[in-house]
Amino acid sequence: MPHLADLYRTARLLAHNLPEAEDLVQEVYLEALKSFHRFEPGTNCRAWLFKIMFHRLHHLRLRWLKASREEAFTSQNEADDLMAPPSVPQEIRDEDILAALDKVPLAFREVVLMADMEEFSYKEIAGALRIPVGTVMSRLSRGRKLLREELASVAQSYGIKPCTKDAGKGELA
Amino acid sequence: MSVLRFDSRQCEKTRRQLDAYLSNELLVETTGEVSKHLESCEACSRDLESRMRVRNALRRAVAAQLPPESFREALHRRLKRAQPGLWGSAHVPMWTMALAALALVVLAGVAGQQWMRFERGRQMVSGVLALGASDHLHCAIKGHNYSEIANPPQRLREKLGPQYAGVLDVVEKKLPGFQVLEAHICSVPGSPRKYVHFIARGRRTILSVIFTRRDGESLPAGRFLVAGASGGVDLYKAQVEGFTVAGFETNEYFGFVVSDLGQKEVLEIATALGPTLRNALESSVGQSLEPAGPRCSLSVALLRPARQDASE
Repeated sequence: MPHLADLYRTARLLAHNLPEAEDLVQEVYLEALKSFHRFEPGTNCRAWLFKIMFHRLHHLRLRWLKASREEAFTSQNEADDLMAPPSVPQEIRDEDILAALDKVPLAFREVVLMADMEEFSYKEIAGALRIPVGTVMSRLSRGRKLLREELASVAQSYGIKPCTKDAGKGELA
Repeated sequence: MSVLRFDSRQCEKTRRQLDAYLSNELLVETTGEVSKHLESCEACSRDLESRMRVRNALRRAVAAQLPPESFREALHRRLKRAQPGLWGSAHVPMWTMALAALALVVLAGVAGQQWMRFERGRQMVSGVLALGASDHLHCAIKGHNYSEIANPPQRLREKLGPQYAGVLDVVEKKLPGFQVLEAHICSVPGSPRKYVHFIARGRRTILSVIFTRRDGESLPAGRFLVAGASGGVDLYKAQVEGFTVAGFETNEYFGFVVSDLGQKEVLEIATALGPTLRNALESSVGQSLEPAGPRCSLSVALLRPARQDASE
């Protein structure tokens, strides 16, 4: 089954629960089978399958009604990038980063997974999600930052204080 | 949360570009500017290192989310049920079916031998090109045995040792649009084979140029060739582990260009690189891939701890 592992792990991290993720992956392959005549040989099959998956996810999301939380994050401006970088723990456990990722709103989480895990280009992500490349860039930047912030709060919960050295050269106010 | 007061506008500019830098989405010139700043700015380097730590941790954790066998089987069953019957619905006369079957038997006999010969050749090509793909995968991709900031050329030459130092210039010249980040001699776990490995970053990709001694092996000629390079170097190609590999052979070496770029792009790079690289390698005939001195030993030794770190 081509690219099953890639689609499965992404679905696991974007769907509400395991049965929903498995249903989603099944629907992707059924849809691909049905629409195989539309696939252009020589083009990227993996990107095509992800495009189908995000199309299905979009419909699912309309039911989930989680947009309000996402919009709250989207409205924040780029000034955040000038803030001191969150202090990320040196040792990151799998369960911590998965828990942190789960707290990142879906619109950002999906872009982070597509870019950092599946290594799609900005253009491919834009095509799969049907959003402009500029939106991919801003969501990726914001999503990565949210992930680092969640990890930093995990570190603090273990009693690890933010490391002021991170900013370097005494630049922290 | 505290707010950074940047001493330099360059820091602010660099941090705005770090996300695209991390995704290899910057233009080569901009990548060079960011790399140059990172070399001199400890704070920005630490920021990049922290981002990379998170990305590597994410990859490790998410990669462990594999589909269970029961799900694979259920999916197979469901897809099988969903496929329309190819034979059941067709109304084909029996005599036509019988004739077709007979023709198939005759054709199968004639084609069988040809196919066996072809298949053996194809497997030989895949087997040899898999050498390059496995080193790229283990060393550059999984091991991430390169720094995001390119090592200075002098340092790379030291790692290659005197016998292969000169090849660095060839690789750099023949890879326009790429920045050579790393060069060393390495091996893949479980194999004694040594590889001379150049890791270069281009827009959206990491590319490896690799060569290794043939040790008596050879690539089959004829229909397995995909292109004859201008300098008389025959090229082969294959898709291995999701990477495109273009390969060629010289009197002593197999050479590979490996990346996740399309076949056309990789073949173009291999076509440009092959003849010059062959000439450079032929001039080092008789030299061994074994490290000749302490510098080379160091470069080989450096690879192993790095690989262990990445797999932790």
